[in-house]
Amino acid sequence: MKKLVVIVLAAFLVITFAGASFAAPKDNIGCGLGYMAFKGKDGLLSQTAAATTNGTSSNQTFGITSGTLECNKPANFTANEKLNKFVADNMDNLAVDIARGQGEYLNTLAVLLEVPEGERAPFYAKLQTHFSDIYTAETVTHVDVIKNIEIVVTSS
Amino acid sequence: MKKCLRRYGWLRETISPLFFLLHFFVALPLFAAPVQATGPPYLSTVLELAHQKKLYQERYWHILLHYKRGLFGTRSLIDDEAFFLSKEGKHNPEAELNATIRAFFRNGDDQSNPSVCKFIARYTWLKEQLDLDPSQLPVPECKRFTELIDQIKPESVSLIFPTTYVNSPASMFGHTLLIVETASKSKLLAYAINYSAVTQETFGPLFAIKGLFGYYKGYYSILPYYAKIQEYRDVNDRDIWEYPLNLEHEEVIRLLMHTYELNLIYSNYYFFDENCSYQLLFLLDAARPSLGLTDQFNLWVIPVDTIRAAKKSGLITGTFYRPSKSTKIKHIASLLPQDGKSKALSIVRGELKAEILLEQNIPKEEKIRICDLASEYLQYLYAKDEVTQKKYTNLFLSILQARSKLGAMDENEYHIRRPTPPDEGHLSNRLSLGFGIQERDLFQEVQYRAAYHDLNDNDKGYKEGAQIIFGNVALRYYFPDSKLRLQGLDLIDIVSIAPRDEFFQNISWKVRTGLYRRVLADDRDDLLYRLNPGGGFAFEDGWKGLWYVFMETELDLGPDLQDNYAVGIGGSAGFIGKVTDRWKIHLFVRDIYYGLGDTTNSLELAFLQNFTITTNTSLTAKVSRNRSHGSHQNEASLSFGWFF
Repeated sequence: MKKLVVIVLAAFLVITFAGASFAAPKDNIGCGLGYMAFKGKDGLLSQTAAATTNGTSSNQTFGITSGTLECNKPANFTANEKLNKFVADNMDNLAVDIARGQGEYLNTLAVLLEVPEGERAPFYAKLQTHFSDIYTAETVTHVDVIKNIEIVVTSS
Repeated sequence: MKKCLRRYGWLRETISPLFFLLHFFVALPLFAAPVQATGPPYLSTVLELAHQKKLYQERYWHILLHYKRGLFGTRSLIDDEAFFLSKEGKHNPEAELNATIRAFFRNGDDQSNPSVCKFIARYTWLKEQLDLDPSQLPVPECKRFTELIDQIKPESVSLIFPTTYVNSPASMFGHTLLIVETASKSKLLAYAINYSAVTQETFGPLFAIKGLFGYYKGYYSILPYYAKIQEYRDVNDRDIWEYPLNLEHEEVIRLLMHTYELNLIYSNYYFFDENCSYQLLFLLDAARPSLGLTDQFNLWVIPVDTIRAAKKSGLITGTFYRPSKSTKIKHIASLLPQDGKSKALSIVRGELKAEILLEQNIPKEEKIRICDLASEYLQYLYAKDEVTQKKYTNLFLSILQARSKLGAMDENEYHIRRPTPPDEGHLSNRLSLGFGIQERDLFQEVQYRAAYHDLNDNDKGYKEGAQIIFGNVALRYYFPDSKLRLQGLDLIDIVSIAPRDEFFQNISWKVRTGLYRRVLADDRDDLLYRLNPGGGFAFEDGWKGLWYVFMETELDLGPDLQDNYAVGIGGSAGFIGKVTDRWKIHLFVRDIYYGLGDTTNSLELAFLQNFTITTNTSLTAKVSRNRSHGSHQNEASLSFGWFF
């Protein structure tokens, strides 16, 4: 299981950083904690705001589009674009699930990393124990989080 | 067997027996002689066949083009010119059909986005109806769509209903969207298909008015479902209901084809009828034409009614509840003693460090709940913009670090019992028949309400303390003078009673406007127009009763008022309690001092009781006493309400 996760992560990281080193500027910091696409659009006018936000999605083509329009993201990766987007878009909820060792966001992470169902419990427990090694600081980005998960999973 | 019928039902619908025969006779020679059919002669054969089969009259063609019969004949509800290949396409199904067929044959078609891709649902249907030979077309198939399906591996579709959000005028009835779940088996990664108005307007009233008259453009959009969950559950704080649908694979593909066609296509958005929930129904009709969901609504479309319609047609197979942030916070708090709740609050305020909590001598389970309550509540406050990002990230990490040292908990620890689903609450329209006595005069009363729930109705399936009334008209017939009169007309009467506690500092508010009667200086019960907003606080007591207090202002206009107007200020206070699940009481007092215009003090005291007979029938008893311009008016009434 560990192997599989490492392969998926490694493939992802190689493509990510290969892409990044060519195309992305140095200040490519990714999405951090507290990033919310719809934040601060609450209250009486929220539907307006939400509609506006929805509107930004109308420049999409069919297929999944991310809410993280403002996030820098490494260019040119395709292998696990979903993992990248998922972690970037759900930094906070994923942090909660990792700290609790359970939850829908953690399950989805396991799906994206192709962790077999029978091996998820130890995977979750390991991430939980190493929470501080994954979400290392307030300024942590989704790129760091994915890299740190790889380190945690590969260390025995 | 039933399944099969359902599956092929759309074929039965689109091909009547006669056409079916015709289809055989005409199509067979085509099968036999595809070689001859080259170039323009083949195009004319196809056009001729389409004409013979009267495909432009077919129901499925009308679904794909969103054609509806209106006062001025058939027209498409789509307003974007890019959606039509014929200039007359919006009003002429036949011209559009011919233009569509021609487009598939056109050599100079845009190669990057050929017509067979742009109109993939039309192409697929026409290919089947006309037995088109793809090898005769410049672009025989839409590879891009096939690749897309291979890539996303769609499996099933659910109808999603984020519930009422009283604070926002556009979504107070809730909202609906569809999600397409994929082979990944993670609902968060499902694709959410949403229809909404696009606007930069931030001025509320203008937004509402423009929305009523179709000023905004509505677009279909696709986002990951987790983004919509974040928007509705985490930021807007709304419960989400998920209804899995029994669409078969080929139906899901048809749904996606039609969605693909509607990419970047707009329709004018109308709050009442051509709204988010209605437009979504076209996708379901395209998936399974026998549903005919878009034919079932006329003047207005209330989102929850579209769920009921889907349920009635046998589309819905289950119900799944996804609680809002505040529902979850309340649930975790309910598992903690007062001391534990206070500790969670202290952590969020930064007065107690989470790592200090770990050292305290309390059971581990309690520490876990305290940490979880603190992190959920902190996220809630952050979404409401009540803490800065810096403070939030700092506290959030320290809480989660402490939490990660406490191990996992039983999966079902935070399982929240599913409340009554919104579609199982009372229906949206109400007709009431009643009689009563005002002073010494007997009267009969008939009332009709277009939408949708008042404070006294049974709350099952609705949000407690949220009243949304649109278009409530009351007529009274007084026996002594044998006269029928308009007793009142509530155009809008919205009340949001949101209880406060140590976690939620909610503001309650109300706004109502319409016609009502009040005794004036002439000692008569005169009809007045009023606008009456208010704001206040509410609390919930131990046995789930709501206590509320409002400060209110009121503007009255009417020819019988001195100077034709009156402006007042005052307040109201009340209690709403549930004696049993079926018996609700509401007691309130309201006093307004009119200081400008027609001056007086007006006092209203009322006691209402509502008995639920069945989900859609109820009995309401009311006694009230009104005083205005020094004269009293006592009244008692009993009415029977029927929801439909």
